[in-house]
Amino acid sequence: MDFGRSHNWKGITSERAFKAATISCLVLLTFFFVGIVLSLVTYTNWETMISTLVSPEIIFAIKLTVITATISAALAILAAIPAAYAISKFNFPGKSVVDTILDLPIVISPIALGAALLVFFNTPLGMIIEVKIARFVFEVPGIILAQFTVITALAIRLLKSTFDGIDPRYEQVSRTLGCSKLKAFMKVTLPLAKDGLIASGILTWARAIGEFGATVTLAGATKMKTETLPVAIYLNLAAADVEKAVAVIFILIALSLVALISLRKISTTRYHL
Amino acid sequence: MIEIKNLSVRVGDFSLRDINLTINDREYFVVLGPTGAGKTVLIECLAGLHHFRHGEIWLDDADITAVPPEQRQIGYVPQDYALFPFLNVAENITFGLKARHAPPETINDQVTTLAHLLHISPLLNRNVRTLSGGEKQRVALARALATSPRILLLDEPLSSLDVRTAKYLRLELRRLHEELGVTTVHVTHDLIETEEMADRMAVLNTGHVEQIGTPAEVFFNPRNETVADLVGTPNILTCDQVKPIGHGLVEAVCGGMSIVLPLQDGGIRKIALFPRDIYISTTKPPGPELNRFKGVVTDIQPFSSLMRLKVRVGKNQLLAELPQDIFEEMDIKTDQEVFLILKLRRLRIH
Repeated sequence: MDFGRSHNWKGITSERAFKAATISCLVLLTFFFVGIVLSLVTYTNWETMISTLVSPEIIFAIKLTVITATISAALAILAAIPAAYAISKFNFPGKSVVDTILDLPIVISPIALGAALLVFFNTPLGMIIEVKIARFVFEVPGIILAQFTVITALAIRLLKSTFDGIDPRYEQVSRTLGCSKLKAFMKVTLPLAKDGLIASGILTWARAIGEFGATVTLAGATKMKTETLPVAIYLNLAAADVEKAVAVIFILIALSLVALISLRKISTTRYHL
Repeated sequence: MIEIKNLSVRVGDFSLRDINLTINDREYFVVLGPTGAGKTVLIECLAGLHHFRHGEIWLDDADITAVPPEQRQIGYVPQDYALFPFLNVAENITFGLKARHAPPETINDQVTTLAHLLHISPLLNRNVRTLSGGEKQRVALARALATSPRILLLDEPLSSLDVRTAKYLRLELRRLHEELGVTTVHVTHDLIETEEMADRMAVLNTGHVEQIGTPAEVFFNPRNETVADLVGTPNILTCDQVKPIGHGLVEAVCGGMSIVLPLQDGGIRKIALFPRDIYISTTKPPGPELNRFKGVVTDIQPFSSLMRLKVRVGKNQLLAELPQDIFEEMDIKTDQEVFLILKLRRLRIH
C-alpha cells in the first residue's frame, strides 16, 4: 500500500518537473524575442521616429511594400488553390516528386531563389520576356515576382492541409445533387475552405511583407524605386542611420502583429462540426 | 428498374466481385452485410462516384455506367449525412434545386412540401450544426428528395442514431417510401432494420452477393453457413399440425413443441426463431406455461462475445444465445435442464 502511494508521488513529481522544464524553455524563448524588440527602444529617438514615419521615403516604402505584398499574395493564393487541391485530392504518376519540388522554395535561401531568377532573365527566354512582356530585373514587377516565388510554396502547403481536412463526402453529395466537378468545387469545397483560404492569405501576405533576399537580388535596392520596408532597413543600416532603420523595423513589427491578430481571430471562429 | 451486371471494383481496402442485382421499380431494397463487406462502395457505384472497368449499371433501358453523378437523377444520403455546414436547413434542402436552376416557385413549393412531409418545418432557418442526429437525418433526406430523384440511396441511415430515434425513423422511412414510391436502396448491417423495411434484400459479404430474396426467403432458407451466420442462424421449426384455439390464436405443434401464435393468413408451415430471441432460465419462470419449454443443454460453444447453447426440446435442437457474463453467472453446464421462453413478437412465420 505504502509502496503504491510513494510510487504515485514519484509519478506526480516527475510529471510536474517535466511541465516546469518545458514551460521554462517557453518563457526563456519569449523573453529572448521580447528582449530583442525592447533593445530597439534603446536606439529609439521618438522625434526621429515620427519624422521618419512621415518622410516621403518611408511613406513610399510602406505603400510599395503593402501593394506588392498584396498583389503577390493574391497571385500566390490564386495559383496555389488548384495546385494544392490537385496534390490533396488526386493521385497521379510522379506526385511525390512534384510534392518535393514544390517544397524546395520553402527550404532554399531566398537569395538563391532571387539569383536563380536573375540568371533566368539572362537566358534567351528570359530576355524575350523582359523585352516583350514586362521588365522584372531591378524593377517593381521584379519585387512581385520575387515575393511570389518565395511565398507560393508556402501557400500551397497551407492550402493542401486545408483541403486535406475537408471530407470528400461533401463534394460527392453535391455531385449527386446536380453539380459538375467544377461547380461542386466552387459551391462546396471553397466555402468549406474559407477559413483556411483567409488564414493562408494572411500568412503569405505577412511573409511577402518581410521578404528581402530574393527581392534585393532580382529587383535591387534602389531608393524610392524598389525600396520595400526590408530594403529600407538594409539601406538605412548601410548608411549607418540606425534610428531610421529602427523606426522602419517598428513599422514591420506593427504590420506583422496586425496579420497575426487577424489570424488568431479567424482560428477562434472557425467551423466546429 | 436498376440492373447491376457483373460489377467488379476495388476502392481502397474494399472490393466488390461480380455483383449481379436487379432492383424493381418502387421497391425498398436492403443490402445487408457486416462492416467491410463493401456496402458503401456498392452504393457509391450506383451514385456514379467510382469509375470501374468491369461491369455495367442500367437504369430502365439506359446504360448509366459512364453517366456522371449529376445526370443520374439519384438522391444520396451518406452515413454521416454530410449536411453543408455553411448553409442553414432551408438552404441545404434547396441546394440541389438551385444547382439545377429550378424556378423559384418550384423551389418554394418543394421546400414547403418536404418540410411538411418530414416534419421539419420549424427547423428551416436553423443552423445545421445545432440539429440533433434525427433532425440531421430528416434534413439530409429532404435534401436528397428535393430534386425528385428516381432512386434514393441510403447508406446506413440509422446507424448513428439512438435506439428509440432509429426505431421511429424506420417507420418514417417506410411511410415516406409508401407515399413517394421512390425506388430505394438501403445498406445496413442491422438485421432488425432489414426485416422491418425490406421488400427484398441481398446479403453481401466480403464484396460478394451471397443471397437475394425476400427477408422471409433469406431467413427461412439461408443458402449457406455465411448467410445463416449473418442473418443470425435462425432455428427453423417445421410445423406438423396447426389448429385454431379461438380468440384469433392458433396452436402450432412443431416436433413436440406447442407454440401459440396469432392466426395467420395462408397458414403456418415453418417458424423461424432467432437465438437472440430465446430467453434462458435455470429456474422455472413464474406465470402461465404459454410458449415456455423445458429442455436439456446438449452443447455449449463461445461465439464472439456470446455463448451459444444447443438445447434439446422435444425432437428439436434449438440454438440460443447468452452474453458471456450472464452465462458465467448462471453457471450452465451440458446435460443441465433449463427453461426456454420464446419472444412471441420476434417469431417469423412462413
